Amino acid sequence: MAEFSAEVFQNEFLSDGATDVHAVVSVTCTGAGSTADAGAQPGAAGVAEIVAVDTSGSMQGRNMDAAKHAAAVAVDQIPDGTLFAIIGGSHVATRIFPYPNARVPMVAMEPGARTEAKRAISTMAAGGGTAISSWLRLADDLFATVPVAQKHLILLTDGKNESEPTMHLDRMIADVTGHFQCDARGVGDRWVVEELRKISTALLGTVDLIARPEDIAEDFAALVRKSMARGVASVDLRVWAPQGSEVLFVKQVAPEVDDLTGRRTQVNALTSAYPTGAWADETREYHVAVRVPAKPVGSEQLAARVQVAVGDEVTASGLVKAKWSDDSTLTARISPEVAHYTGQAELASAIQEGLAAKASGDEATATVKLGRAVQLAAETGNDEATSRLRKIVEVENEEEGTVRLKRNTAKLDEMALDTASTKTTRVRRA
Amino acid sequence: MSADDSSLARCPHCGENAAPRARFCENCGTPLGTTAATSPSEVTLELAPTVVDPDPATGDSSARRSCGACGGTIAPDGYCADCGTPGQSERDHFEERPADWVAGVCDRGVRHARNEDAMALAAGSTFAALVVCDGVSSAPDSDVASLAASRAARDVLVAYGPEGSSSVEGATSRRIAGWTDAMVAASRAAGQAVRGAAEQLAATKGTNVTDDPPSCTFVAAVVDNGLIVAGWLGDSRVYWLPDSGQAEQLSVDDSWAQEMIAAGVPRAQAETSPQAHAITRWLGPDAPDTDARCAATVPAGPGWLLVCSDGLWNYCSDAHEMSDLVQRFATSGDPHTTAAALVRWANAQGGRDNITAALARVSPAATEQR
Repeated sequence: MAEFSAEVFQNEFLSDGATDVHAVVSVTCTGAGSTADAGAQPGAAGVAEIVAVDTSGSMQGRNMDAAKHAAAVAVDQIPDGTLFAIIGGSHVATRIFPYPNARVPMVAMEPGARTEAKRAISTMAAGGGTAISSWLRLADDLFATVPVAQKHLILLTDGKNESEPTMHLDRMIADVTGHFQCDARGVGDRWVVEELRKISTALLGTVDLIARPEDIAEDFAALVRKSMARGVASVDLRVWAPQGSEVLFVKQVAPEVDDLTGRRTQVNALTSAYPTGAWADETREYHVAVRVPAKPVGSEQLAARVQVAVGDEVTASGLVKAKWSDDSTLTARISPEVAHYTGQAELASAIQEGLAAKASGDEATATVKLGRAVQLAAETGNDEATSRLRKIVEVENEEEGTVRLKRNTAKLDEMALDTASTKTTRVRRA
Repeated sequence: MSADDSSLARCPHCGENAAPRARFCENCGTPLGTTAATSPSEVTLELAPTVVDPDPATGDSSARRSCGACGGTIAPDGYCADCGTPGQSERDHFEERPADWVAGVCDRGVRHARNEDAMALAAGSTFAALVVCDGVSSAPDSDVASLAASRAARDVLVAYGPEGSSSVEGATSRRIAGWTDAMVAASRAAGQAVRGAAEQLAATKGTNVTDDPPSCTFVAAVVDNGLIVAGWLGDSRVYWLPDSGQAEQLSVDDSWAQEMIAAGVPRAQAETSPQAHAITRWLGPDAPDTDARCAATVPAGPGWLLVCSDGLWNYCSDAHEMSDLVQRFATSGDPHTTAAALVRWANAQGGRDNITAALARVSPAATEQR
């Protein structure tokens, strides 16, 4: 049985007249088990898995071969009993397996199905354009036929979503949000990070770059294993805030920055819920900011109850407090956790904004933003970001964040920096 | 006092032999010792059905506490489910309502970390005793001292009440003398309770009782069949606020501010000076004497008897203004809701100190019975 715990890090002391309360809430899940425990009967298993592989013309050659191999490896990793399907995507989406003429839209994995699926995968051929909304639509249709709690899509592409207006994809993302989770992967350097990030963010998954086609298989295997380890299907983060207050934002800050604020749904007048998808044994951290009316010095106020809800059951709760004080030694302190993740979130946006400016030719803005990113990465001890940034910029002074843009940088290095920008390092706790 | 104890039948002040059962020295007027003062533990508490944080429906005091700020419910995590205000511990906020005409609220206020005010009430049909003690916040554990003091004093006053072991009886003048005597006995018992608490705390902590000992003020008022008697040490107060006629402060503060007022400094100026709250008399191991000063009044008509700490009167010192304030909140005529409203009002003014407001609705019906 999965157990959740919530721990709050904050400086609860506010100076006279202050209204904004910040806290980092660390949520840990233990005993999640695996999806295999959720249901032993084939077909009634608790999880459904779809792999959607780009089959557009651009995939021709090494990419197509590697993608087919990767899909086959993924099929090997999907445990027996798990409902699955394979989609081939170009400007249209095709169900590769179960075969288009099969009567069932998804089948439970078993040795026969595994062999047959691999045979189907081997027949995939590259051709046509790229319209990712059609792939999402087909995945959604297939998932809709199976009554399981946990649905996961792996999406692989190598190119830009060029065969449809952006609006089509945006509308489709909105339509399928909440229906399934999606991890998106781009291979090579011709896909657009922002497009896949849009999909994976809305669908509670990750986006990543696979530089070399031969690495796809390993990545797919890891994604399937990770998906199967998520034994707790649907978890909401709930935030209660007192009458007369305002929730400024709710952000996941570890392991990745993900602003949940816009995904708010109302539980009751004072409580909102933010979907966090399925959980394995893991720790995620959230930065919650609430604005409460100021109270007289000496007063105490509960600013938020941050709760973990599995279904309708609250399984863990953390209290965010506010205490007004005129002792500046108390109120001037900033919680190290809040400071660290505030810096990490700013680092993510500085990288993304810097790269966007660079791409549009605005070198002045790019230099300032990426300089700030270098500074933040150093301050928050994010060595990975630092080394990725150093491939794009020449650092003059790390502490002051002064940099020069490098000439002739590799596109892949920029994309790697972009996709990894949301990954955060954990705060070092004494 | 036991009749055969000859040592107590002699005035401790001048040595004059006292008449049997006398409560004052005939020679110098010094109050003589009493049974209740020397052994408060023998007092029974039949008249003191106190209620703490009651739930009117179930009488349950802890299961479902309500929020002092918004009236919502305190969640199991200790905070209000609606407004997030912390639920208070019973020491931080408690209410007593020993009769439907007598009630009080004792509250931590906003600024102080602890509630060092204490209150103990008792009431019958025509008798009420209201005691308030304000712990001196410069001394640690004054919250323990003030609670012990207020309860000890109440118990002594109850013993002098109509159902007590040594009832004060007779004509009004005799009863004034009797209750003045009782008030001194009560303040002495309260002083002893503070010393007892101080010694116990010192023993527990392994410190010396003379180092920074806990101390508190004392104020009490008794309503006995048409007579009101007040007794005090320090700056907690008794007000008599008649529905018509002159409101008056019965107690006279034992404070630096009061001494300045007596010397001719205007009240407002004296009460806002930095030393205003330095008190000149108190209860505690280091107190020079623990005999309450007393005052009595015979109300001509109905009104409110208010016993309060400076957490309330700091925001409304003048008796007429206090009268207006109480009238404003007393629309229901219920002492409990009125006392609660007074405390909320003081908190809304800033709640810079602990706040206690105890009220008795003295009405012709209550004063004419018996």
